Amino acid sequence: MDFGTSDFKFGPITCGENPRIVNNRGYFPDKKSLVYRAFEPAADVIVGDEVPLYLQSNEDLTSRLVYPMKNGLIDKDDDKAWKVVSALSQFGLDSFHVTANNAFQGYNIVASLSAVSPRYMYERLLELFKQMNHSGNVRAVTVIPQPFAVAIGHGVTTCVVIESGHGNSQICPISKYPIGSAQVALNRGGGDANAITAEILKDSGYGDLAGEESLVRRVKESIGLIPDDLDAAISEAKRAPRKFHAKHKVPGTRVEIDLEQNSWTRFLIGEYVFNPNHEIFESYFNRGMPRPRDVKMGETTFRGMLDFGDAIVASVEKCPVELQPMLYHEILLSGGNFSWKVSESMEGVAVNAPTKIKSLLRAKGIRNVSVKMTTSPQFSVWHGCIIYGFAVPEDYGWDWQRLEGWLRIGA
Amino acid sequence: MGALNYENSSDPGTLSFEVGNERTLVRILTPTDIIERNQIIDTLLHLSSLRREGTQPYIAAPRLLGATLDSQILRSSGIGLLLYDDRRIEETIKPGPIQHTIRINQASPSFNTNTTLIAELAALRLTCAELEKNMSHMRSEFKSFRESVMSSTTISRDSNPVRTFEPLQRPETTFQTNVLGEHALPSFFTNNPWLDVLSKRGHTEGTPLAG
Repeated sequence: MDFGTSDFKFGPITCGENPRIVNNRGYFPDKKSLVYRAFEPAADVIVGDEVPLYLQSNEDLTSRLVYPMKNGLIDKDDDKAWKVVSALSQFGLDSFHVTANNAFQGYNIVASLSAVSPRYMYERLLELFKQMNHSGNVRAVTVIPQPFAVAIGHGVTTCVVIESGHGNSQICPISKYPIGSAQVALNRGGGDANAITAEILKDSGYGDLAGEESLVRRVKESIGLIPDDLDAAISEAKRAPRKFHAKHKVPGTRVEIDLEQNSWTRFLIGEYVFNPNHEIFESYFNRGMPRPRDVKMGETTFRGMLDFGDAIVASVEKCPVELQPMLYHEILLSGGNFSWKVSESMEGVAVNAPTKIKSLLRAKGIRNVSVKMTTSPQFSVWHGCIIYGFAVPEDYGWDWQRLEGWLRIGA
Repeated sequence: MGALNYENSSDPGTLSFEVGNERTLVRILTPTDIIERNQIIDTLLHLSSLRREGTQPYIAAPRLLGATLDSQILRSSGIGLLLYDDRRIEETIKPGPIQHTIRINQASPSFNTNTTLIAELAALRLTCAELEKNMSHMRSEFKSFRESVMSSTTISRDSNPVRTFEPLQRPETTFQTNVLGEHALPSFFTNNPWLDVLSKRGHTEGTPLAG
């Protein structure tokens, strides 16, 4: 079970290459409403495929529709979020119900959480599985960090996994085990790219559209580019404006966004994710765009302004020296925030995420690096969970110090 | 006529003639019988009862009585009608085998139904016997299958990927990728070094680097 920020991916090994996917969210129906009182009682929280059936335009979705893993973390006291996690876990289990018999004695469940999940999240999740074993379908359970699962799914035993989601990014070195003490977390992700895109839209006269989050995200995905070198890219874009002309037509509407002479700003979108320290961003901060700040969530400090190059170096240098070259040699990028398109006509000026990471590391004097996108970014965590559950011996009991092993639940 | 006349000793009012294989019974009504309605009915019932004895029953009635008799009743009963007066005797309604035919036709549906039911019962009995035979066969097969499973558990488990979650399948110290066969596993299992690494968890491993 992969508890991603937006999707919950689950299923046993018999699913084959791809798991089942539902949104990682839950809907809390208004049980005081006449409709629910008049008809059969609804569950406390609705999850899975039925959620859209309950959504109503006149209801306050912001309070009733809960995305528990929005930032990869759940507060200890966020009962609503934990209820959603519990309901999703039960939904996942019930979706592959097997009648108990002599051959099948329950599932061994591998759940995957964000690398920055504090200990209480492990405790709460394991407790949830204990409680939901009334059907006897759970034999043992374990929780592993998502970057660790990515490395397993990708088949690399020594590497650095960089997982970048909507709200934050994590750099996690792995050498047969996740090296927890060397983890670095960034308070920056796809949401920050959306923020700078909204500012660019305002500057280009589309302030009325800048407030629509989904539209801004689509514009980011359509026109955003990662520059190999920001200064050089801006110069090139200003020199050849037609080549880098940024235009986005919203499908099914009359809305067309055209950055015209500001088309060079499309490079700011990608750059901001990887390195927000360029002086050009200061003007945006001065005009009110919030600067990514260092925040402490749980036991982890999420760094706001650290660029990806510095973050990787900081993480790797916390590991033994003899291990460091091997870690630089295998850097895996995972998560939707690394999926950037590059047109052939712009090659050399605009680059993909692995090339940008290489470029940032080169600037720090690190050259012999290999950076790859995971082959199956969407499912690599689930692949890792399946392999972990398949291979780890069942007599390897849960260890709170290592945060590994099987916690036996069933008989 | 060539007919032989027999006096019916048990029924003096009835004439009986035999022509070849056919026998004719004639019951004679007199003018006084007109007054007694029950007498006519009684006569008709009596002839009907004699229908089994003779193939051609007649009722002979005075011509005056003819207008009062319902010819349809006589026809449906297969009883002939002879009307007579002082000058002649006239066969008004011929006796026929109608009633006999009707009886056969009325009896045939129940006969057919009984035959169908018997056939169905026989078929059911055959099916039941066949089912019992199959059940017995399945019982013996299941028994032998269970015995084979008990005697060679490892082989039988290998065929089902889901059963890899069972503790008895788990390797003690090393992971055996051939437990299910490479073709049975998803592609991300192929040449994945973690299978070997993870299978040694809790056994021959060093201290982890994890903090």
